[in-house]
Amino acid sequence: MISAIYNFALTTGANRVIRGARIEHVCGDPTLSPEKDYAFGMRIVTTALQTLTIAVPGPTLFDPMASGKEAVHAS
Amino acid sequence: MSGPLRIVHYVNQFFGGIGGEDQAHVGVSVRAGAVGPGRVLEKALGDDARVEATLVCGDNFASENEADAARAIGAELDRLKPDVLVAGPAFGSGRYGLACALACKVAQGRGIPAITAMHPENPGASNARRGIYIVPTGASTTSMQAALDALAPLARRLGRGQTLGPSEAEGYMRRGTRRVHDRGRPGYQRALDMLLDKLHGRPYRSEVPYAPPERVSPAPPIADLARARIAMVTTGGLVRKGNPDRQVSANAVRYHRHTVAELESLSPAEWEAYHAGYFNHIVNSNPNYILPLSFLRDLERQGKVGRVHEHIYALPGVSTPVAVSAGHGRSIAADLKAGGVDGALLVAT
Repeated sequence: MISAIYNFALTTGANRVIRGARIEHVCGDPTLSPEKDYAFGMRIVTTALQTLTIAVPGPTLFDPMASGKEAVHAS
Repeated sequence: MSGPLRIVHYVNQFFGGIGGEDQAHVGVSVRAGAVGPGRVLEKALGDDARVEATLVCGDNFASENEADAARAIGAELDRLKPDVLVAGPAFGSGRYGLACALACKVAQGRGIPAITAMHPENPGASNARRGIYIVPTGASTTSMQAALDALAPLARRLGRGQTLGPSEAEGYMRRGTRRVHDRGRPGYQRALDMLLDKLHGRPYRSEVPYAPPERVSPAPPIADLARARIAMVTTGGLVRKGNPDRQVSANAVRYHRHTVAELESLSPAEWEAYHAGYFNHIVNSNPNYILPLSFLRDLERQGKVGRVHEHIYALPGVSTPVAVSAGHGRSIAADLKAGGVDGALLVAT
């Protein structure tokens, strides 16, 4: 699940949660140039696709903007 | 009260003495009086109650031919006209639990009170506990006596036309219903008492029960994205321009399935958002923000994703009750499975 309000997604039990940009533009950012907007959206979408190839123990957050690849698990 | 309480007891083929799994296909039949656990039930019920007849049905029959089973059970109940139907206990047995729930619903549909007993994690309990009375039991038949001792007094009262009190006082499983009643003291006094108890570290009980969200086991990972069929779902209220399908903007009563087989991207000339819970104008300039078709098409072309599923699913995820949302989710998931989809991206606004 790609969502800007990712805490809701985690606490309500979504297992693979990808941090989206904003509620009004989850997969991208219109304040960026078209090229950067596209690259940002693509990063979110590819992160989401990658999570489908990873086993998760339960609700887990993946942040496309985080530098490392560490996933954060909901407690 | 006139005469002894007349009970009809529903059991499966095993407890009805027909046989084990090899006999699970048998249809509904009737035995006079109590059979098997019905005798224990009769004892637990006391003197002025008797099991008039026992309905026996194979678990496979009940689950595979639900409508036929319901019709047959209904016909017998119409004939026998009991004061109350008791089903089970089903303990941890899933098909039996579902059949017991079915029997209870059939009885209740005819104005006959009904009650069953099973393990709280039995699918019959999770599916039907809102509609029927279920006494919680252990997972195995070793808790038979305890289950029937707990069930019998409730069955007696239901059979006499009495209303049961709240689940926590009566011991049946919570049905998720609330009834207006007088607690004797006004809310502010009860709230202050609760606060004082909390501050003093004394035990207290909230009047607003917390229902933890359902936990779903994570789906196993996809081995190879390059061979996977990927679908997209959005709760962002995506509609075709002008909303010709007349989607509501909140409290979704249904979801909408659209075909994108021919599309490379979601054009703002053809798609927009209709959703009462967020500012839609940004999405209206680029609907791919809530349903990333343009990105997936690029990845599909690059061979990084096997196939973009031809159908997308959309609804406005706002002001919709959890139970209704869960129903939409189950239905969409079933459709995705039937369509051979390996993974789905759900964009939530």
